[in-house]
Amino acid sequence: MCECRKENLAHFAVTIIGKDRPGIVADVTEILFRLGGNMEDSSCTMLGGDFAMILIVSHPKPFVKSRLTEEFRGLHGLGLSVYVRSLHENEVCYRSPQGELCMVSVYGSDQPGIVFRVTRELADRGINITDLNTRLIGTKEEPVYVMMLEAALPEGLSIEDAEGLLEKLKKELKVEISVRAITPVSL
Amino acid sequence: MPVRTILLYPDPILKTVCLKVKAVDREISAIIGDLVETMRTGPGSVGVAAPQISVTLRVCVVDVSENRQGRENNHGLLALVNPEIIHRQGAAITREGCMSIPDYTGDVERATRIIVRFLDETGNPREIEASGFEAVAIQHEMDHLDGILFLDRIASLKTGLFRRKNYK
Repeated sequence: MCECRKENLAHFAVTIIGKDRPGIVADVTEILFRLGGNMEDSSCTMLGGDFAMILIVSHPKPFVKSRLTEEFRGLHGLGLSVYVRSLHENEVCYRSPQGELCMVSVYGSDQPGIVFRVTRELADRGINITDLNTRLIGTKEEPVYVMMLEAALPEGLSIEDAEGLLEKLKKELKVEISVRAITPVSL
Repeated sequence: MPVRTILLYPDPILKTVCLKVKAVDREISAIIGDLVETMRTGPGSVGVAAPQISVTLRVCVVDVSENRQGRENNHGLLALVNPEIIHRQGAAITREGCMSIPDYTGDVERATRIIVRFLDETGNPREIEASGFEAVAIQHEMDHLDGILFLDRIASLKTGLFRRKNYK
């Protein structure tokens, strides 16, 4: 067990998605609030016409998954799909990112495999994606795919190394790829 | 000149507008000394503002000369008393973190070139033109003197927040 303030809390990973409308976040968090739960980490965004919420929820122990699932049942009637998973104690801890942080932009004519080819290349070198989003833009005749991702480089791998790594993919897929450092500065 | 404890948010001092220094006297020199010592011990720190060490006066120190992003272009160690930005130009986004808000970073837009007027550690009026990383650091520290934290200036959500917290 790590040295953090989470020992007395039960943690859950929760995914909620449904057709976008005003009020989804309020509906979900009202349930958590009444329950005495806490939305610790979250990332919520519009995807297409849907709104997706990914949450880490905590609740003072003892608390079980079935209770949370039960409390969320009302959301089904509002057109939301809900998925809840219990997190084991050792899944819930702080871990600082190691190595340099970089931002990778990939864009070009849409074709199958852009995400797969780029992320496989990164994965094979132990580059860890921390954030990623993609969007299909452009026209019907000329669809353009855009992927932006942030990743932590493993010890010993530089931004230039990462750039070099993606260079041949750039030629092969005929897409633009650029890599730049975004390591936070401590002020 | 002891190393002082860095206040962490939500300490209300961090949201206080600091008072102008009347004269750079012995008390102010001591504060500058403490700020420098505290900055030197902070991991990778390039600046500290007086409110971060519980002093609500318009004093901060900046030194980016040891930093990879700042070592090419800087004025060395700067003690800024009653600093004012009298000109700013350009804009660039930097991912900032702050010793007073651990485990969180965010993308902040700052001017890329500034002219700052201030009193130095001897009380002499000075004016410098700072650019690049040094300009970012000065603007971040000066914000502290007005009770403004980088969280108040985050420019983008979509890719702007990197959570150091990690659930593996």
